[in-house]
Amino acid sequence: MSSQALADIKVQVESNEYESGNLDSILSEIAFHLEQLLEQKKTHSIDLRAMPWSPGDEDKLEAYLGQGEIQIELNALGKSLFYETQYSGIWIVTHYNQEDEIIGKLIEITYMPEMVFSQKDDVKDSIERLKQY
Amino acid sequence: MMNKKTLFESLQQQGVTRRGFMKYCTALTSLMALPPSMIPIVANALESAKRPSVIWLSFQECTGCAESLLRSHSPTVEGLIFDHISLDYQHTLQAAAGDAAEHAREQAMKEHYGKYLVVVDGSIPLADPGYSTIAGISNLDMLNETVAGAAAVIAVGTCSAYGGLPMADPNPTGAVSVSSLVKDKPVINVPGCPPIPTVITGVLAHYLTFGSIPELDDLGRPKVFYGQSIHDRCYRRPFYDKGLFAETFDDEGAKKGWCLYRLGCKGPMTYNACATLKWNQQTSWPVESGHGCLGCSEPNFWDAGSFYKALSIPDGDYAKAAGYAVATGVALGAAAGFANQKTKSSAVSQHTKVTVDDFDMNKDKK
Repeated sequence: MSSQALADIKVQVESNEYESGNLDSILSEIAFHLEQLLEQKKTHSIDLRAMPWSPGDEDKLEAYLGQGEIQIELNALGKSLFYETQYSGIWIVTHYNQEDEIIGKLIEITYMPEMVFSQKDDVKDSIERLKQY
Repeated sequence: MMNKKTLFESLQQQGVTRRGFMKYCTALTSLMALPPSMIPIVANALESAKRPSVIWLSFQECTGCAESLLRSHSPTVEGLIFDHISLDYQHTLQAAAGDAAEHAREQAMKEHYGKYLVVVDGSIPLADPGYSTIAGISNLDMLNETVAGAAAVIAVGTCSAYGGLPMADPNPTGAVSVSSLVKDKPVINVPGCPPIPTVITGVLAHYLTFGSIPELDDLGRPKVFYGQSIHDRCYRRPFYDKGLFAETFDDEGAKKGWCLYRLGCKGPMTYNACATLKWNQQTSWPVESGHGCLGCSEPNFWDAGSFYKALSIPDGDYAKAAGYAVATGVALGAAAGFANQKTKSSAVSQHTKVTVDDFDMNKDKK
C-alpha cells in the first residue's frame, strides 16, 4: 500500500461556478418587506431553516447582509443572538438551546425584534418580587 | 401520571420567563414547519395545552425509527419526553421490564381512556402471529387492544405506515400496515426509513399544540412535511431543468453536483421534507452527499426495482428527454412519477433483484 498525504488527495468543491439564484429571490423578498415596514409598519419574519438552500447559500446570504451597529444577547433557555445587519431594519436572530445547538434561525424585518422588549408577564412578576422585599 | 398542569405553567414554575416561552414557541413553530407568523397562535394554544399520554408500540421493526427520534435535537428527546408528552410505554426506553412494563401500558390506557396517543413503529405480521410477539401477546392483539381507547394513532416509519421492508416481496410474515387494520381511529402516517426526527417530533408537537391532527394527503401523510416532492425542493433541480446529469458517481457531472436523475434518484416520485429539513442537525441529506433519493417514504419502495436504475420516462429516450427538460421539467417529473407507479405495481408481483450490473452505469451504452 502506498502512503498518501492528505494534501495529495484532490478535493473539488462542487459547483463553484454555479449560482443557485436563491440569493436573488430572498433579497428581493426582504426588500419588499422592508418597504412594507416603512410604509405600513408591517413586520415580517422568514424562517431560514425552512429554505431549500444549495450548499453555501446561507453563508453567502449572511456575508452579503453583513453585521451592523447593534448586537443583543439573550439568555433564556439557552442563548439567543439578535443582530442588525448592515441594512437597517433587517435583523438576524439565532436561538440556541442549553446544549448550544441551533433550534431556530430567522430573518426579522422590524425596527426591533419583539422578544427584545421587556415582556408584560415578566414585568408583573417583577412587581410581585419587589413587593416582597 | 398525566401532568395536570399546562405546559406553560410547568415552564413558569421552572423559572422560565415570557421571553423564554416565546423562544420555545418560535422553535416549536419552526419544528412544525409553520410560518413564523403563526408564533403568536402557537403561544396562545400552548398556554392551555396539557401533556398527552403516549403509548409507543414496536412491532416488526429494526428500532431505526426510535433511533432517529432519539437523535432529534430540536427539541431534545429529553425535553420532548418530559415537557411535551408523557411517554408511558416504550419497551426499548422504559426502565420497567416484563409484567411491570405491560402493567404501565394497561394503567396508562385505563387512566387516559379515549385521550391517549398510540405511536406504532413496525408492521404487523398476519401470516403467523408467532413471528412477532411482546410478553406473549401477538402484535395484532396488542394493536387492537391498545388502539381501542386511543384518540389517534401515529404510524412512524414506512413499515408501520405502508408495510415497509417486512412486506417486501415475498412478504414471508404476511406483514401489513397499521392503516390496513385500524379503520375507526384517525391514523397519521409518518413514513421514511427512518423518518426525519424533526418530522416525528413535529407531528407530536402539532397534536400537543392544537389538540388535532394535521391536514393529511391521500396516503395519510401530514401535508406540511410531505406536501412537495424531493425533486421540486431539490437544490440540484436547476441542473435537471438544464439537462445536466451525472452519468456515474465519479464523472465530471457528479463532481460538479449535477442532477442524479440518471443514477436512479427517486426524487421525482418521492414526497418528503429531506431537501429543506435535512439530516443530522441540518448538516446534509442524501442528494447533497452525492447519492440519489431511494424513495424511502413511499409505499413499496423496496420493490420498485434497482435504486440505481433511472426512473422510466414515457418514451424511454433520456437524451431526447433531456433536450426538452428546459421547458418541460415539471411535466417530465410528473410523468416519470406516474411511470414509476406502474413500475412499482409490476414489481410487487415480480420482485427485481439488484445485481452488480446495476452499479455499472455504462452497461446501457455497451
